[in-house]
Amino acid sequence: MNCADASTLLSAYTDGETTMLQGHWVKRHLAACPNCAAAYDDMLALRARLRTEAPRHAAPPELRARVLATLDAVRASTPPPARLRVRSERWRWLSGGALAGCAATALAWFVGTAVIDWRANEDLAVEAVTMHVHATLGNQQIQVASSDRHTVKPWLSARLDYSPPVRDFAQDGFPLVGGRIDYLDRHPVATLVYRVRNHTIDVYVRPETATRVAPSALRTIRGFNVAHATGSGMDWLAVSDVNADELTGFVQKLARESGMP
Amino acid sequence: MNRLPCTAAPRASASPGGNKPGGFPVCQGNTEARLPDHTTFEQLVLPHLDAAYNLARWLARDTHDAEDVVQDACIRALKYAGSLHGNDARAWFLTIVRNAFYDWLGRNRPAEIVHEDDDKIAARIDPSSPNPEHEALRRAEMHSLSDAIEALPLQYREVLVLRELEEMSYKEIARVADIPIGTVMSRLARARALLQRSPMLQAIGGQATGSER
Repeated sequence: MNCADASTLLSAYTDGETTMLQGHWVKRHLAACPNCAAAYDDMLALRARLRTEAPRHAAPPELRARVLATLDAVRASTPPPARLRVRSERWRWLSGGALAGCAATALAWFVGTAVIDWRANEDLAVEAVTMHVHATLGNQQIQVASSDRHTVKPWLSARLDYSPPVRDFAQDGFPLVGGRIDYLDRHPVATLVYRVRNHTIDVYVRPETATRVAPSALRTIRGFNVAHATGSGMDWLAVSDVNADELTGFVQKLARESGMP
Repeated sequence: MNRLPCTAAPRASASPGGNKPGGFPVCQGNTEARLPDHTTFEQLVLPHLDAAYNLARWLARDTHDAEDVVQDACIRALKYAGSLHGNDARAWFLTIVRNAFYDWLGRNRPAEIVHEDDDKIAARIDPSSPNPEHEALRRAEMHSLSDAIEALPLQYREVLVLRELEEMSYKEIARVADIPIGTVMSRLARARALLQRSPMLQAIGGQATGSER
């Protein structure tokens, strides 16, 4: 083995990653060649310095907390499969007696639709909170940054099949800071971002439809408040960590006044 | 052990140096259908959060960016936990972190993605090429060995960090960085040669061990 061969293998030899035969030849060469032996010493010195001077960065504690919160949010938006099994067992039980079955079916229909509505409602609120959390964590909260509704509105309209009314409420302490497009309830949705003190409020604006289940006016999910209102031909869903009364008041104001000229 | 993990968005095109154009195989079907329960997943992945952050931090060279990358990687890991076979959770998770980083890089700093083979990279950064201005700039920027590592090209930096700080085997590095073992070997050798020639090492450690090579 000559010096050129040895030098190509020296790095792997330092890592103990040469084959036995290669290792044997490198070792023999190092014993005979002071130049290569010095290069090998340099390699070991570099390793020692790397391991003492180059920090292995530890994850900051806040990151750990953020990761746990995000994992919870992702899980909350994906219902576990166990729920399906419960429902099918309920149906098997219902098919027991004929008359009782009919009565129970009628009852189950009422209860079932109520439950489905409630679940749809719950899922929508959970989905909205998850999106809010993701946007906040990922620093992707605003795609169009402007307090000017004449900038935000056309930007949103160009990307949606509807045109949400946009209004700045800075004089009431709720300045508009921008907007983005999200995906809520299987449809693209306009998200308006408002600020109040240090809190961010995401408002999801969708066209009002007769078929949609009206969400409950206010829910709290994992510490975030979700408030709902309809008005100005739209469906308004606001998510924030600001207090419930203030959020409810704000979303009602939005629904009432956004459409005003 | 030999099964490669899925990635949420395998963007091999954005991954420089990946010799296989297809990158990681996209897992088919049901791997993401069920989320693992809290305890299993968190026992698997959270012990490697430091490793994940360390890799992301050295690749992105910024604490906030590294946190975003790790955050994204955790979400992907949760979705694709079904693709983890065997007990090598660290290599599996670091693969996802690396993919999340390259996707992040493509979105945020596309200019840094360089499609070059190793010889071109080596030629581009050859310290023997006369460029005094560049050299002076580098000298001024380097205050520590960390700076010297951060100045390495991305492809060299990642193998070096995986080897020296995470102490992974060549086989594991090949898997995480999606390159053949031979490439791991040559990139590590070049990374070390560059570090040994860097002004930082010459200034302090160099004189002790002879630096004429």
